[in-house]
Amino acid sequence: MGGWWLFLFSVLAAAGLLFTMVFFIIMFSDLECDYINPIDLCNKLNQFVLPEMIAHCVLTMLFLLCGQWFTFLLNVPLVAYNINKVNQKNHMYDATEIFRTLSGHKRECFFKLGFYLLSFFYYLYRMILALIQGGLEVKR
Amino acid sequence: MSAQPQPQLPPGWQATWDQNAQRYYFVHIESGTTQWEQPVAVASPPVVTSPLPGGGPGGVHHAARKRQYAAGQTQAYLGTAGADPSMGYAQPAPADAYGQQAPAAQPGGQFFTPGLADDPAAQAAAAPAMQQPSYYGGQQGQQQPGQVDRLANQFGQMGMGAPQGQKPFQLHTVNLVGMPIDPRELLADPPEIRLPPGACISNNPMANADPSYQRCTINAIPSTHSLLNKSRLPFALILTPYRSLKETDDDLAPPVVSDTIIVRCRRCRTYINPYVTFIDGGNRWKCCMCGLANDVPQLFDWDQQRGQPADRWARPELNYSTVEFIAPSEYMVRPPQPPVYVFLIDVSYAAVQSGMVATATRTILESLDRLPNIDQRTKVAVIAYDVTLHFFALPPGSTDSKMLVVGDLDDVFLPQPSDILVNLTESRTALEALLGKLSDMFQDNHAVGSAFGPALQAGFKLASPTGGKLIALSANLPSLGPGALKNREDPKLLGTSQESKLLQPQSSFYKTFAIECSRSQVSVDIFLTGSGYSDVATVSGLPRYTSGQTYFYPSFNASRSEDAMKLAHELSTLLASPIGLEAVIRVRASRGLRMSAFHGNFFVRSTDLLALPAVPWDQSYAIEMQIEETLNQPFVVLQTAVLHTTSFGERRIRVVTQALPTTQNISEIYSSADQVAIATLLANKAVERSLSNKIEDARDAVMNKMSDILGAYKTNMTAAGSGASAQLSLCENLKLLPILLLGLMKHVGLRHSAQIPSDLRSYAHCLLTTLPPQLLIPYIHPCFYSLHNMPPECGTIGEHGVIMPPPLPLTSERLERHGLYLIEDGQTMFLWIGRDAVPQLVKDVFDLPAYDQLRGGKATLPVLDNPFNQRVNAVIAKTREMRRTPYWPHLYVVKEDGEPPLRLWALSALIMDRADQTPSYVQFLTQLKDRVNGGSFS
Repeated sequence: MGGWWLFLFSVLAAAGLLFTMVFFIIMFSDLECDYINPIDLCNKLNQFVLPEMIAHCVLTMLFLLCGQWFTFLLNVPLVAYNINKVNQKNHMYDATEIFRTLSGHKRECFFKLGFYLLSFFYYLYRMILALIQGGLEVKR
Repeated sequence: MSAQPQPQLPPGWQATWDQNAQRYYFVHIESGTTQWEQPVAVASPPVVTSPLPGGGPGGVHHAARKRQYAAGQTQAYLGTAGADPSMGYAQPAPADAYGQQAPAAQPGGQFFTPGLADDPAAQAAAAPAMQQPSYYGGQQGQQQPGQVDRLANQFGQMGMGAPQGQKPFQLHTVNLVGMPIDPRELLADPPEIRLPPGACISNNPMANADPSYQRCTINAIPSTHSLLNKSRLPFALILTPYRSLKETDDDLAPPVVSDTIIVRCRRCRTYINPYVTFIDGGNRWKCCMCGLANDVPQLFDWDQQRGQPADRWARPELNYSTVEFIAPSEYMVRPPQPPVYVFLIDVSYAAVQSGMVATATRTILESLDRLPNIDQRTKVAVIAYDVTLHFFALPPGSTDSKMLVVGDLDDVFLPQPSDILVNLTESRTALEALLGKLSDMFQDNHAVGSAFGPALQAGFKLASPTGGKLIALSANLPSLGPGALKNREDPKLLGTSQESKLLQPQSSFYKTFAIECSRSQVSVDIFLTGSGYSDVATVSGLPRYTSGQTYFYPSFNASRSEDAMKLAHELSTLLASPIGLEAVIRVRASRGLRMSAFHGNFFVRSTDLLALPAVPWDQSYAIEMQIEETLNQPFVVLQTAVLHTTSFGERRIRVVTQALPTTQNISEIYSSADQVAIATLLANKAVERSLSNKIEDARDAVMNKMSDILGAYKTNMTAAGSGASAQLSLCENLKLLPILLLGLMKHVGLRHSAQIPSDLRSYAHCLLTTLPPQLLIPYIHPCFYSLHNMPPECGTIGEHGVIMPPPLPLTSERLERHGLYLIEDGQTMFLWIGRDAVPQLVKDVFDLPAYDQLRGGKATLPVLDNPFNQRVNAVIAKTREMRRTPYWPHLYVVKEDGEPPLRLWALSALIMDRADQTPSYVQFLTQLKDRVNGGSFS
């Protein structure tokens, strides 16, 4: 199971997540350059924290449902990490602590950025693969 | 020194050569006393009685019962072995020991620098050092190499205004094991800042920051990060930029630059200061931080008031480290706002019954004249709250007020748009009438519950357009509306690893609300007078991020006059103190340095900008720094700027500049380390650690830091290197760091104990993170005085006010059964009285016939018509006012056989003793030594 449509969707989702991360990183460097104050920053970013996590979680569930075990397993660690963060209630950015934790947040964002970027290309590859295979099947 | 001939001695003395010290010490054969100073004919062991009053019966009796301690130890502390308590409660020995050997300190005087004579602060600081030789004098041949040199060096380091560039830093290593502790050295100034010659363009001794404004943990900055790492010393700045002035100490307000010419570097925005250099014939100046050449404005050399050329070298910003600029309108976001005070007064049943309402309203009423109101713009509002909110309309000119009740707590609104927040001068009569009757109005109030959160929101609504100060008094745990809290105190958790949960906020309301307040320039001060659990941990988040302060009065009851007195004093001091509104603090440093972490009560608004809605007086901030690149310049400059609006509507910038030399020599780093600043920083970090992790982790972190420093010192600076050593070496200027850190680990805020309620811990945390070093040091290392045998001049008025008795090391070995002692930490005072106190002493001090009649607990000493009582009272009064503090310490009378909790509380202040699970000082040193010898520090 798991045709090209799944990977087309995941490519789009990964692109969306990728942009969210780029947005986060830009906001953080704005904060460092003092273009934005921490209160506004946290208000802005906190709107996107949960949607980002939910989107990623949905995507992972979709892989599970479609039986893409390998892709599912690739995504499980990040889902677990996110769930753990929500459970400990430190997933939201705290304006009073933001400068103390900024480097950690940035590192996390860069890591996620890299992950989404890699998965973007992987999904693209899988999508093309699925399209080619689908094309071959149609030809036959 | 080794070629010294044997000195001539008076009869009865013998000179003995000490191999270690390479000098003679002197033994009085009859008494067994030893001393380093060469005795003169009269210097026989003291048996002179002091002319104290009441030195009556009972002396021999007590001598027999006096506790016995190891001879060496007692002698080391007392100075003389012949400390024979032969005279009543006036035991002369220590007094005479000081008196007699003080002349021996005179030769040390030659190390004084001329600049010292003009500087009262330095003189005061040097005073304890003057007495030092007597302290060491009594040591029994202890292994203390180079003692004289060390003293000399100490005197040298005292010299504040010393000409620069003389002899290099001398590092004196001491062995901590067996070294006696002299608490007076805690009052000494930090190690001298030795700038390279020509660094400063002014000769003014005030050209470098006074330690009370700004001090650094290291007074010689290592030029590379790796060098700093090697020394293991923390690198941070301790600031108290907005500190109060004590007229008695000849404290001068910082000079004000009255013309609005503010010269700043174009690139790094540094304010011009005494460390810049003028180039191009004085037409340009080179910034001391970034090196950029800037133009000097034309009007810099022009006196605008007189309209004639002025001498630039006389300008205050080039001569003083601490100056205030009057800021022009570019520094304002809006016109300077008036000071706004909104009082939120809890009028629930518990609050009225405890007398809090009556005390607070009376205090506010009496303080109305002291509120900063020079230009008559100050605005005031009063909101009373229980289960509803009571607003008071105070129309100008009327003598009557109208009460407006709002019961909707979930969506607070102001019942009418005007006349609630009123001008103090215009509505004075109505306000006075209201404050006079507020307590009676709610006398029969039986409402139980507290709408604390809604009241705060209402106050915020009033103050937010202008910014200002909310002063909230609460006697209950907030229970209604937003911000309601649960009683979560669980004695089972105390002392376990779960305890830090109780120290973290249980609701996010106070933090989010604090951020809103900070944004609207509203500062919140909270007075908690609840008799039960008040959840200081959660509520204190509000003052913490809005630059306020939490005041906590556990089981307050105004029927005890001491409680009422304490609340009234602290509230009225707060009201009377000028505030700096809408403030921001920014610290700039030379290239290569970076601020990495901030501790204190404020909101960090940008990477290096601290926002304070209202800067209170005497709050301290700690800023950790990092060395990012190699420092090539010979000295670095650290500049703090506080932009604020004064309570009389002037926008001002207070600039504090400190220049510190750089060094590549690790011994210079050690010899310039400031133990007081290090202890202050570690207190801040430990509190943070105990909130984020566990209290145990915080203690471990302190312990690790200490053993790290000791280990690094041993590896780098001693011959022992990384091998095992029987000594525990540290440099002279850091020798009190272990005891300070032990005090910190044993402090209420960090001590391992299952008995400390989380409210008390949280309150201690509030204090540990906000007290300036002057208050923090006694808070972690209390002062301990012996009163029954204090020297006759103590308690009388001397040159610098009341003369205090010499402080004793904090060990109960010094408690004698017939004695009267004072232990104080700036927040509480304990008057300890031994069980065998002579009736005369009890009569003189307490006006009671005998010890049995005396009751322990909070007390006020009666003022009696006898000299000893007056001296004790004078010492207590001096203790209360000698520091820059709003706090009014309670006095507890503690009987040696009195109630155990009070006794244990008082004894817990004696930090050198072993107490149930905490080590004594000697054990602590042994632990450190084992760690240093066991660990690998390379």
